[in-house]
Amino acid sequence: MTQPPFIADHAPHPDFNALSDAEFRALARDFVESNYPDIPRFAQHRLRWPEVRPWYAALARAGWIAPTWPQTLGGMGLGAGKHLILIEEFERYGAARVHDIGTVMLGPLLMQYGTQAQQDYYLPRILRGEDIWAQGYSEPGAGSDLAALRTTAVRDGDEWVIDGQKTWITLGADANMAFVLARTDKTVKKQAGISFLLVPMDAPGVTVRPIENLEGHAEFCEIFFDGVRIPAGNIVGEVNQGWTMAKALLGHERVFIGAPRLSANALGRLEASARANGLWDDPAFQDRFARLAMDLADLNDLFETYVQRLRTGAPIGADVGVLKIFQSELYQRISEELMQVAGSLAGVKLAEGGDSRFDAAGTYLAARPTTIFGGSTEVMRNVLARASLNLPK
Amino acid sequence: MHVMDEETTENIRMLCDSASALVPADGSLDRVRAARFQAPGFSRDGWETVAEMGWLGLRASEDAGGMALGLPEAVALVRVLGSGLVPEPYVAATLAIDLLEDAGPHTALDSALTGQDIILPAWQATADGLDPAAGVSVRNGRLSGTKCAVIAGADLYAVTTAEGLALIPRDAGGLTVQAIAMHDGTYRETLTFDEVAVEVHPSTDPVACLARAMVLHAAYLHGAAEQAFDITLEYLRTRQQFDVAIGSFQALQHRATEMKVQLELARASIDAAAASMDVGQLDHAGHMAALRARSRAGELARLVAREAIQMHGAIGYTDEADIGLFARKLVVEAGQFAPEFRLRERFMTHREDAA
Repeated sequence: MTQPPFIADHAPHPDFNALSDAEFRALARDFVESNYPDIPRFAQHRLRWPEVRPWYAALARAGWIAPTWPQTLGGMGLGAGKHLILIEEFERYGAARVHDIGTVMLGPLLMQYGTQAQQDYYLPRILRGEDIWAQGYSEPGAGSDLAALRTTAVRDGDEWVIDGQKTWITLGADANMAFVLARTDKTVKKQAGISFLLVPMDAPGVTVRPIENLEGHAEFCEIFFDGVRIPAGNIVGEVNQGWTMAKALLGHERVFIGAPRLSANALGRLEASARANGLWDDPAFQDRFARLAMDLADLNDLFETYVQRLRTGAPIGADVGVLKIFQSELYQRISEELMQVAGSLAGVKLAEGGDSRFDAAGTYLAARPTTIFGGSTEVMRNVLARASLNLPK
Repeated sequence: MHVMDEETTENIRMLCDSASALVPADGSLDRVRAARFQAPGFSRDGWETVAEMGWLGLRASEDAGGMALGLPEAVALVRVLGSGLVPEPYVAATLAIDLLEDAGPHTALDSALTGQDIILPAWQATADGLDPAAGVSVRNGRLSGTKCAVIAGADLYAVTTAEGLALIPRDAGGLTVQAIAMHDGTYRETLTFDEVAVEVHPSTDPVACLARAMVLHAAYLHGAAEQAFDITLEYLRTRQQFDVAIGSFQALQHRATEMKVQLELARASIDAAAASMDVGQLDHAGHMAALRARSRAGELARLVAREAIQMHGAIGYTDEADIGLFARKLVVEAGQFAPEFRLRERFMTHREDAA
């Protein structure tokens, strides 16, 4: 699918980081209140592209689509503290999450490993919403054990020929581009023969199959590659160096999957439901709520330390796993409490477009895969134990 | 994110180095063992070292003869003291100094800063209380009532009252002191005041002093917990059972990573609290940050204490193994500044007031 470009109409940015936190918070709040389009707020599942497109457009036009990119490349150049404030204010308003694989994952990766030509071509297309990216990592049989992937790319003249299958792709059906890890050398150690490729979704041989999840949303899909040919230049980094980039991206991903956003959103809904049904003043509930609210605030503090590392280019390291483990488990604990508050009616399935603030079972189900994707909690604990705590195999 | 400037980083480095005066680099706990169950539970020599190092005046203003450093620097020092289970009541003494400064110029501040007099705070009325005004009352210049959980070893008590701060010598007429032995070899005292003659110095914000002390206390717990964790990890790497190191067992690895998760959350929470509370008046957000840091550290302390004993096996339950000293200290100190459910209650009050 080809996306129409959203041309930024903003004047050169002010230096956001020079503002006080309070000033920037007021600015962010005003921005979301004035620019958020007439689309669902507090959406519990990821909105599909046609739904969320107006918000992407509003952000892109204002130059707010890539908060952490440097201003010279069209981002906002926000420091970690200001970025968190932006997230908090968007969250407070219930703004939907836009399709951000391009801004959060691919963009920063291209800035680090891409050629000048790749940066010049792809980065503006992300900012303008011309390319919506999907991440092609997981495969059936190669989820948390990513290095076991079987999709292959074989060099044929000036092209790579890709065969295989990727799964668990968030909003992949909305994307027009995918980055894909593929095996380019079967003769070496499994991590050593992988490359990082950029694949147009409209290339002949690409087939997309939606996957409906437990909540009934087709938020995920599988992509099949059957002799898909892409230009030789659609590789990021060197041939067989994909694992380095996969690891870098996984580090970023685990920082952002560890972001307080999901838990913050769910806690806001928990408070709203408890206030709505009269449970709020119950001392036992208050104690349980306080624990969750304090956990969330501590998670915020921890998240800041990792975002700061990203900003300063400091190594992320294996211990980033603590962030993702705690965020996903906190989200699940909040969803347990939502079920308690909703009682016998916790299972009510709300109509599309309804006020999803009160969908307890939907949140409960939505919280399940967070301890699975991006590396399951169990595998991440194994990695932490060995790589961070230096415990024996 | 509060990024530290170079000067702060350098101050912290020097302070942490200076901590070797009481925390031996080789991890020896001989001094700590010797002080146990000998009233008041720490040594006067140790206290002289604390004073000589200038730590007592770390945060005190330069006018008062202090170094005027910030809470982040104090947190860094206290973490090291915690890692060495230093029994000298440094955090309590800095709370007393903070309360003294808060109550205006006072000659006692000099003797507290030089270490000449050990002044410790008596602020708590009940074991789960957080109100510094509770427990005592002043009428016609006479103080009556009780304070509990006072750390033993004071020459003078800094007693918080609804009217302000009262300084009362240990041997004041009308004061009865009852000491109780704690499991870590230190002592706490219950003070009963019966018409004790006092001069009261009006306080401005004793609750803010408590909040800062809470963060330092959390840092002590964090330092001790982290050291106990490191000792336990080393044990997991070396102790063999069924012909392999027990640290290779996934069940233990996963529980070890949970301690790591909680340690990192506590570190982030404490450091952010210290940085955010360091400037200006303490607002609701500052109080909430302190309550969080202390809550997280208290639960961390008990988690690490119980896992350290379990992972060491029966040796962890013996007095001769050093890990037991950590377990005892952690469970004793974990409860200071009121239990977590009270801290959460207070957190929610601030949250409502801030909204």
